[in-house]
Amino acid sequence: MDEQAGIQQNKPHNIEPKRNWKQALFHIYDKKYKQLLIIPFLILLFSLSQIAYQYHTTGDFIIRDVSLKGGVTITIPLQKEVNVDNVQKQILQHFPGHDVIVRSLRSTGTSVGIIVEADIDGNSKDQVQSLLAATGNSIGIDLTKVHYGIEIVGSSLGASFFKESLIALAVAFLFMGLVIFIYFRTFVPSIAVIIAAFSDIVFALAMVNIMGVRIGTAGIAAFLMLIGYSVDTDILLTVRVLKRREGTVMDRIISSIKTGMTETMTAMVAILVAMFVTQSEVIRQIMIILFVGLIADIFNTWIQNSGLLRIYIEKKAKKGIII
Amino acid sequence: MNHRLKKLITNWRVIILLVFIVISLVAIHPSLGKGVAIRTVLSDSSAGIAGIPQPKPNTQPVSRERIVSINNAQINNVNDYYNYVSALPLNRTIQVKTTQRIYKLTTREKFETVELNETEEKIITENAEKNITVNGTIKTINETITKTIVVPKTKQVSLGVEDIGLKVFDAPATNIRKGLDLQGGTRVLLQPEVKLNSYDISVLLDNMKERLNVYGLSDLVIREANDLPPPLGTGNQYIVVEIAGATEDEVKDLLAKQGKFEAKIGNKTVFRGGQDIVYVARSANEAGIDPNSGCGPTGNQWACRFRFSITLTQDAAQRQADSTKDLSVVYDPTTKRSDYLSDKIQFYLDDKLVDELNIGSDLKGQPATQIAISGSGVGNNQQEAIYNSLENMKRMQTILITGSLPVKLDIVKTDSISPVLGEGFVNNAILMSLLAILSVAVVLAIRYRKLIIAIPILVTMLSEVIILLGVAAFIGWNIDLAAIAGILVVIGTGVDDQIVITDETLKGEASNVYNWKEKVRRAFVIIMLAYATVVVAMIPLIFAGAGLLKGFAITTIIGVTIGVFITRPAYSSFVEIMLK
Repeated sequence: MDEQAGIQQNKPHNIEPKRNWKQALFHIYDKKYKQLLIIPFLILLFSLSQIAYQYHTTGDFIIRDVSLKGGVTITIPLQKEVNVDNVQKQILQHFPGHDVIVRSLRSTGTSVGIIVEADIDGNSKDQVQSLLAATGNSIGIDLTKVHYGIEIVGSSLGASFFKESLIALAVAFLFMGLVIFIYFRTFVPSIAVIIAAFSDIVFALAMVNIMGVRIGTAGIAAFLMLIGYSVDTDILLTVRVLKRREGTVMDRIISSIKTGMTETMTAMVAILVAMFVTQSEVIRQIMIILFVGLIADIFNTWIQNSGLLRIYIEKKAKKGIII
Repeated sequence: MNHRLKKLITNWRVIILLVFIVISLVAIHPSLGKGVAIRTVLSDSSAGIAGIPQPKPNTQPVSRERIVSINNAQINNVNDYYNYVSALPLNRTIQVKTTQRIYKLTTREKFETVELNETEEKIITENAEKNITVNGTIKTINETITKTIVVPKTKQVSLGVEDIGLKVFDAPATNIRKGLDLQGGTRVLLQPEVKLNSYDISVLLDNMKERLNVYGLSDLVIREANDLPPPLGTGNQYIVVEIAGATEDEVKDLLAKQGKFEAKIGNKTVFRGGQDIVYVARSANEAGIDPNSGCGPTGNQWACRFRFSITLTQDAAQRQADSTKDLSVVYDPTTKRSDYLSDKIQFYLDDKLVDELNIGSDLKGQPATQIAISGSGVGNNQQEAIYNSLENMKRMQTILITGSLPVKLDIVKTDSISPVLGEGFVNNAILMSLLAILSVAVVLAIRYRKLIIAIPILVTMLSEVIILLGVAAFIGWNIDLAAIAGILVVIGTGVDDQIVITDETLKGEASNVYNWKEKVRRAFVIIMLAYATVVVAMIPLIFAGAGLLKGFAITTIIGVTIGVFITRPAYSSFVEIMLK
């Protein structure tokens, strides 16, 4: 049923009768775009259910770290390797019922320190002191003689910060949508860009939940960065398809994929390098979220957004408007 | 090729980029400054006595006063400094050579006063008025009485050599101000117990600054931060205190101390902040330049007088009357007037003398609750004199209010970064950025199979970072981890845009259809739209969440703006000239 609109546009690509796998893939991408749309929407559905499940089981739709729920983080520079699981167990003995996480801080594969996170009451000096003592004991160093870093977040601040960040994220998303609407002035293409960005964020959220990544203030920044990167490719695609006249719609999509995939690939490589080199947990958290988001951006832009755009063009063609 | 190169360097877009890079490098001011920079000078220490000035917080990092050598021994880093200073013996005079001048310091012994269990008798003298009857008339005479009182015995215990009272850090190599998480220090987020209006908040901030300055802490930031206003957010108010090079305990101790203000005449406390001062006039018609005496030239300078009034409790007024009634009125030969009493009123903030004022002769023995306080300021011209006297007045008012801080402050977040970690972060962040940029260049070289595309994109990215850092150095913006995240966004969107420019102008069928100008225009349509979305997405973060991610948002906005208006046009010109 979708042949009608496709015929005149797709002719040039079907000259050769014999098909190798590349052409087969192209054929599917070209002809079955409506069926292909199922993939991104299934993934969106899956992501949303993961988040709903997370919310149902934990009462929170992400795993918040202490900067968003209150608690104490101690960062200790350390040259030697320590068994973080053991350290975690030992500290937990002093804080039963609390959430204590011990991770090693790595740069280019070697350990440069450890991070201890505990959701204890940061306003209680005793609790903080005993956490420091327990940590010092379990790694076998006297913390009074080391320059360690400590971050203490009151639980009410953590909660209010979390709420604030979500609002900021929502407002940012809204503003982004407004800019898109103001520029394109058509409903379907604009909403397609917005759905694509939304799907990227939701997928990234679901994936970090599954991977057990704890989200802090830096994570919020990462999701905002993701909005920017995500719409970059969607804007590229939509502008080329709707505002350009040269070639067929499919030609314009293919040229957008070439440009867009170059963008995504450079970003992904840079992110991987940064993830490997950095010794900052803040930067690493940002990079993980961006990386997952960019993976989502590939299918959400080139299958979901382009598919929706083609349906829109097809509808217009039926009304006699050729784009 | 030569012809093209010439065309390139005379292209105005490229020239603008080059100019910006040069200005940025000047602003960043990379230098090989040796020695250790002075962070703070404790006021009552060998260093303070020797006249080493407290560094001003707004000094550019590279221009800070640095210690180059002590007794001709070179001081290259913080370790050198502490090794040398900690080994100094008692009463040794040392020569500290800084970038400004040479100071002579003498090390002192550190004492602690210990109260013993025993008591001792002490003889003190007091003046008292006495009425005597001489020949049937009552006369008042002053009589000196000698009294013996019992006080606990004290002993001075030596604690060895006192530190010379300097806090130093390795000489900064650039004017880029490192944020707390990159240089080590403590940030505390305080929340007032009740919501304050903007006026009260400014009073509170002034108070805290004044108090922390008393402790010789000048390298600090105190500012207000807010959550989103209702109905979007909670509208919570916070006060951020950032002190570089201080540990969590030091800052907490300092903030936990109740600001104590005392006014003394002679050695007697007349009134205390909080309980005795009912009201300090600060509004424009109650405080300001004194309309009766105003401003006037003194010698080749100008001087202005300010005045404002305070209201005391009855008790405090009575104490004031008691302690002034025995003072004599002093005749000033220069003004030929007897305006003031023989003793001054001295203001102590946390037991440190911060200011003193003459007492008007009309106050002698008068239990007045309403007291006018006046003072002066001088300057090279009238305007400067007005400004300085108003500043002095503000400081005086601030001191008088201290101790009655409007509200209790709760510590809601503490963030302490060890300098060891901070230092590692900087080098690591530079390495990370360079490797990331390099890897991007490799991907581009593979994709375009032309170094003439990959290398300019690389150069554009680097120049964008340089300009961004230059702007940061220029406006005194702190580069912290959040800002580094912002720089990463800027590099990322920059690369995206450069790819769009390249593809729009050099690839596809469009190359034959449209002229060059049109192709560049089309590339910029995509770029500007992407730019607009990034900027609007960052705006909410400037106002949300106690401003904790403000650095990230602002760095991103500044960076992408530089990109869109300076580096992108230059890159598109490059493509036009070299690759068309």
